[in-house]
Amino acid sequence: MQPSLRRFAVYSAFSSLATVTYPATAHHSTTMFDHAAVVSIAGTVKEVHWTNPHVAIFVYGVSKEGDEPALWVFEMTSPGNLVRAGGWSRTAVKPGDKVTVSMAPLRDGSRGGALKKITMVDTGVSLNADIRDQEGTIKE
Amino acid sequence: MNNRFLAIIFPLLALSVLCMRPVHAAEKPVINPPPTAKDWTDLGKLPDWSGVWTHKRSDQNAQMKTNPPPWNAKAAAQIEFQYAEEKAGRPPPLFVNCLPEAMPAWMLVTHNAMEILFTPGRVTMLGESDGNRLRRIYTDGRPHPPDPDPTFHGHSIGHWEGDTLVVDTVAIHPQTYIAISEAQGIPNNGDMHITERIRLAEPDVLHDELTIIAPKVLTKPWKTTRIFFRQRLRRVDIVEGVCLEGYFAPGSDKDGNATFVPIPHDVGGNRIPPK
Repeated sequence: MQPSLRRFAVYSAFSSLATVTYPATAHHSTTMFDHAAVVSIAGTVKEVHWTNPHVAIFVYGVSKEGDEPALWVFEMTSPGNLVRAGGWSRTAVKPGDKVTVSMAPLRDGSRGGALKKITMVDTGVSLNADIRDQEGTIKE
Repeated sequence: MNNRFLAIIFPLLALSVLCMRPVHAAEKPVINPPPTAKDWTDLGKLPDWSGVWTHKRSDQNAQMKTNPPPWNAKAAAQIEFQYAEEKAGRPPPLFVNCLPEAMPAWMLVTHNAMEILFTPGRVTMLGESDGNRLRRIYTDGRPHPPDPDPTFHGHSIGHWEGDTLVVDTVAIHPQTYIAISEAQGIPNNGDMHITERIRLAEPDVLHDELTIIAPKVLTKPWKTTRIFFRQRLRRVDIVEGVCLEGYFAPGSDKDGNATFVPIPHDVGGNRIPPK
């Protein structure tokens, strides 16, 4: 097992064992992400959490060629908001998909970010994750 | 004992016994009568508020500057601090615990859609993304109870003035935020009273004109109008939203049963990136 995959397995195991109370994800501002510093990650989707109130996509990849691949987690808005923003569904992005992600990174330098745009390499399909896209864009 | 004496005494005794009965036993319990066919038919005369209503985010953001609440000095200082914290990349986590955004924050700063249902004697608002967003507005003519239990959304009564629903809400938890964003808000701290005039401003635009009276944090009533726009595409129908769902990931137990397993989040409400 590659070291990074091992880390992923360890993370998953930790996830399943965690019993302590953490503040739950909910409705919050996103300035913990540096929106002025968009970073691109290329890799493979490992997990998609299509859950309220925030969808998350886990990608095993690199920010630049030559880096050791690692697992990243990207946060988004809710499933309902993504569907209304256009193009999204529970299966629009699937584990195993090769993707490139534009994201605003967490300011603390850890491997997380707010997803701005994701492109599926094989199909060329791109999806934005801007909640504001809902406004007035979807009408009968 | 003559009959005349008894004729006077008995009614007096009977009256005194009646007067001694507990008052509540003499009151008829209030029931909610079953709706009649006419009640259901009359719903058809109300304006059409069906569909999916999504907040106008750009107007929410604009009002942070153009129409801030008349905060008292103590609240204003806290809001200034919250602005500075958010700018520094440490947004105050007002709504990260999955308790309801509650009144009035749900109406003021929601980032999620809602639907509105009419049934006889009641208007019901159901919010998405957070299963505990629910407002029951009684339109059957009842008053507020004399001493209602405080709740997140308060006790709401409403009546129709033409095509405008006029709502009066009291008994809201003191802890609920008067918020102008997801990172700027102050608990109302008690004695809050909210009135709303809700109406279609355009065929597919709903206005909620709120007046918020919160003497513990505001120097005068705050008036603000919040805008919602309608969508009818079936693919954007309201979906189930359980706020705590994102707190878990699909997994399995030692017997192979499908289970929800907790995943860690940071103080800001994001999943903690893998190390």
